[in-house]
Amino acid sequence: MDKDYIEFKLPSNVCYIESVRVFIGKLSETLGFPKRRAADIQLALDEICSNAVNHGSKSAESRIKIHITVDKRFLQLMVRDTGGENTKQWFTPEKLAEIQARRTPEGESGHGLYLIECLTDGHKLQANKYGGTDVTILFNRTSHAGQDCP
Amino acid sequence: MAEAELMTVRENADIKIIDVMTDLSSYAALDLRKILEDLLLEKVDKVVVNFSEVNHINSTAVGTLVGIAKRLRQNGGDLKLCHLGPPLTRTFNLIGASSVVEIYESEKSALAAF
Repeated sequence: MDKDYIEFKLPSNVCYIESVRVFIGKLSETLGFPKRRAADIQLALDEICSNAVNHGSKSAESRIKIHITVDKRFLQLMVRDTGGENTKQWFTPEKLAEIQARRTPEGESGHGLYLIECLTDGHKLQANKYGGTDVTILFNRTSHAGQDCP
Repeated sequence: MAEAELMTVRENADIKIIDVMTDLSSYAALDLRKILEDLLLEKVDKVVVNFSEVNHINSTAVGTLVGIAKRLRQNGGDLKLCHLGPPLTRTFNLIGASSVVEIYESEKSALAAF
């Protein structure tokens, strides 16, 4: 296997996230990830898709794209949104720093990006040409330790 | 999606017990929030959420539980959680919410803690 690609396009509605989460869990186990790591992958994807729907979409008519790449070493997931009504790239470095600085265990929001940092073997947030954000996360297939945030 | 099939509310004396029977991504978290907010409107102040049938929870659902716990405490009550399996425990621990919301191994111990 060189590289395999799988792609989903979803209406921007949280009701569709669960089906993709279940799919990625099954795929992760098929690729050899242990159950615990597959649960991490599911959670990271859930968090990114939830952010894309809640912060990176103008309406339910918007679409989010999920691009999955599998090779011998990595499982890579990229979620693309097209930007929200009032916020285009919801992450922006300033916004990201603000969210991280404000996050406390007692807070009701702002945990998603923190979890993404904790759960993945690599992540990248990038503005895209559609006015939204591409979030890419990486999971190592040859080492399943993952990371744990303090 | 029928709310009643995925989350049910029962009672033990003055404590309401919510049985969650679905994984908690953002969509199901909306249902859980509605049930908890309805209980707040009914002036219920002691709530236990039983997660024995749940294998996944995201930060939206955790945030909802933290927020409701704080509101119940303001009313002199509390929210207690029980039967969290390893994936849920991991999510609560990573976020730090396990130090904010009381978590018990069994429903019996959660009820006894009130």
